Amino acid sequence: MRLTGKAALSFVLAGIACAWQTQGADEPKPKPENTVSVHLTEPVPPQKFANPPKFWIKEMADRSGNPQPMLVLHSRGGIFLDRQPTVIVREALEESLKSANLLAADADSADLVIRIYLFHFGLAEGSGLDFFGKVEFSAIVKNPKTGETAEVKASGTSIAKGAARKKNIQKNVQEDLEESLRDATRNFLRGQQLKDAVTLLSKGGEVAPVAPTKPEDKPH
Amino acid sequence: MTKRIGWLILVLALAAGSATAKDVTPVFKTAEATHFTGAEGVELTPSFYDYFYAELRDELKKSKLVKDVVGEGEAVDDADAEKSVVISGTVSEYKKGSVVKSRLIGFGMRSLKMDADVTRRSDKQALCVIHVHVKVDPSWNEKTMAKFAAQEIARQMRKEFAQKK
Repeated sequence: MRLTGKAALSFVLAGIACAWQTQGADEPKPKPENTVSVHLTEPVPPQKFANPPKFWIKEMADRSGNPQPMLVLHSRGGIFLDRQPTVIVREALEESLKSANLLAADADSADLVIRIYLFHFGLAEGSGLDFFGKVEFSAIVKNPKTGETAEVKASGTSIAKGAARKKNIQKNVQEDLEESLRDATRNFLRGQQLKDAVTLLSKGGEVAPVAPTKPEDKPH
Repeated sequence: MTKRIGWLILVLALAAGSATAKDVTPVFKTAEATHFTGAEGVELTPSFYDYFYAELRDELKKSKLVKDVVGEGEAVDDADAEKSVVISGTVSEYKKGSVVKSRLIGFGMRSLKMDADVTRRSDKQALCVIHVHVKVDPSWNEKTMAKFAAQEIARQMRKEFAQKK
């Protein structure tokens, strides 16, 4: 049997339309049952500074290039975040700074202003046997009085067990993301880079000392 | 069938690796794992080093050899520096292997060699050097090697420092 040109074209178009529809049906959609809420279980205590400055997070920018930043896992109906990754990271940093009384009331009263560029938030490619959570960002710390800036990089990783059941996958992914968020927050707030940046930027401006720290509290 | 047996061996090996640190008391206050570097000619993706870093930290936590595993570049209290270590290292050799050779004559495994240095944080004194050689089926993901290598480093550290304690 030979197909005429028109019939063959219709057949091909129908095939493409079917494939398009199937692809659309496989695309996961956010629903309450496949959405996870990621936040710090408790604030991360920052390192102790000789002259504790007041920080203010001015801006958070997503530089991951991910078109769907809230989609964490594509397979098995998908797993979504309930908020944008930038909001989650900002909340984690602000909570931790606030817990140590290092968060300024507003931008005008801040000694150092932070601008954050988020490069990765979510799962990264692992061995396939487990979940590899990764949070990576870079912060530009600025002294608004002098205009001087310093860059501080931070990253957090976590490995969580793989799972077969969807319920367990969701639980493990959520734990993995929370652990990597905690790790990145800790890496930033307790990092040598932040300590160096604060020391450098405090020289230029007047960062008011709050309380003298004991010599043994001074980080190495 | 061969693939299934391979996965079974892998799962058993992983289970064995994770179930060996039950009665170890912490020897160090903190341990800092750093991103390893690749020697010249080693063709591994940057994501391999990221994953290995995460696996090494995870294995160190599981080993219970250290109280706290800190991230790269994190500050440590002066008082804890003497009882803290930094783990750094280099991947000295990586062979991609050959699936054809592996299937036909049993050779051509994917292999990785790395050297890890464990140094004391306070005075940078070298405490031990760990040599790791991992071989896996060439059809397996390269990151599986990272998992095995991290387990091996943690195992050798346990062996070395649990004896010295």
